Amino acid sequence: MQITVNDTSYTIDVEPEMPLLWVLREELGITGPKYGCGIAQCGACTVHVNGYAVRSCQLAIGDLGNSSVKTIEGLGTPDSLHIVQEAWIEHQVAQCGYCQSGQIMQAASLLSTNPDPSDDQIDAAMSGNLCRCGTYPRIRAVVKAAAKKLQGS
Amino acid sequence: MKMSFLRAAFAITSLFSVTVLSAGDKVEINPPLAGSVSKEQGLEAWSRIFEVASHPRCANCHTGPSDRPMWSGPSYGKTRVHGMNIQAGNSRIGAETILCSTCHTNKSEDWSNANVTKHAAPRVAMSWALAPATAHWFGRTTQQICEQLRNPETNGDRDTLEIAEHLNHDLILHWAWAPGGNREPAPYSLQEHVNDILAWGVAGTPCPQD
Ligand code: FES
Ligand code: FES
Repeated sequence: MQITVNDTSYTIDVEPEMPLLWVLREELGITGPKYGCGIAQCGACTVHVNGYAVRSCQLAIGDLGNSSVKTIEGLGTPDSLHIVQEAWIEHQVAQCGYCQSGQIMQAASLLSTNPDPSDDQIDAAMSGNLCRCGTYPRIRAVVKAAAKKLQGS
Repeated sequence: MKMSFLRAAFAITSLFSVTVLSAGDKVEINPPLAGSVSKEQGLEAWSRIFEVASHPRCANCHTGPSDRPMWSGPSYGKTRVHGMNIQAGNSRIGAETILCSTCHTNKSEDWSNANVTKHAAPRVAMSWALAPATAHWFGRTTQQICEQLRNPETNGDRDTLEIAEHLNHDLILHWAWAPGGNREPAPYSLQEHVNDILAWGVAGTPCPQD
């Protein structure tokens, strides 16, 4: 089966039931998306499918169809970071970092559909992404800052 | 702007859907002959319909003006709103904040083994969504739901035959009888429920306090 991840096409030979997260990490060595729970409870595995946040542990590879996948590795590059990544660094959001790629992918998805979210909308959109280190206040602040940056750009 | 992101989000839910085909039980739609169901029999059918409509598998997503899906019933212990601060918004698919399909991903045609994992987000071969706000069942009485369901203004402009067809086509409704995980299914079977809807219709859609 053929899949497209971060604009690169891959041929893989796996069972259609295999979750996208397993394909990314185990078959393709793309380890930005993290395994936290495997049951849609934590958000650590969040990637974009056709630009929208999806928990990659919940999407069987056989259900991906022709949709394209983007992981944190494809969101920006070290030379040209995504606005959300830039803001994340400026605000030094990460603590241990485990949840952070999921947080960033979820925030980028939110801002692409709702460039000026209210605090409540940020909380609603980000509440499915857990952070054991409790970086939540910085996450809310950084999503607002990224939204401002987006509006200025 | 608001409309454009809503439109975009609706577009993704269909884009993302690999195939939207029927799965699960096949339903026979055979209404009883006109005049063959008494009012008493219609009310008996209604009481079973109410058991289904008020069951958590159905009512948890029929939350009316609230855009919060609920977690209630034997599989959940204490009644509470859906975890993760989920708000389905006016779009009813979470387009304003986080799409239902972020976790309730769309399965392809065969979703028979989609929901075996306990506590994972249920999935079917269509886009997950809250029921429309007019279809408000959670916490409501048998009389209230009955009146809503027979009123085209609050039932999606359907007669009972069309309600039965709707039950046949909407796979989220099929899921209520095959919820997987450790969730209790809706009572009776999808076919029995459709039969009751049809019988209730032929009886003239009686409600308990008529
Ligand atoms: S690993 Fe996917 S949501 Fe936790
Ligand atoms: S930064 Fe450690 S889990 Fe979020």
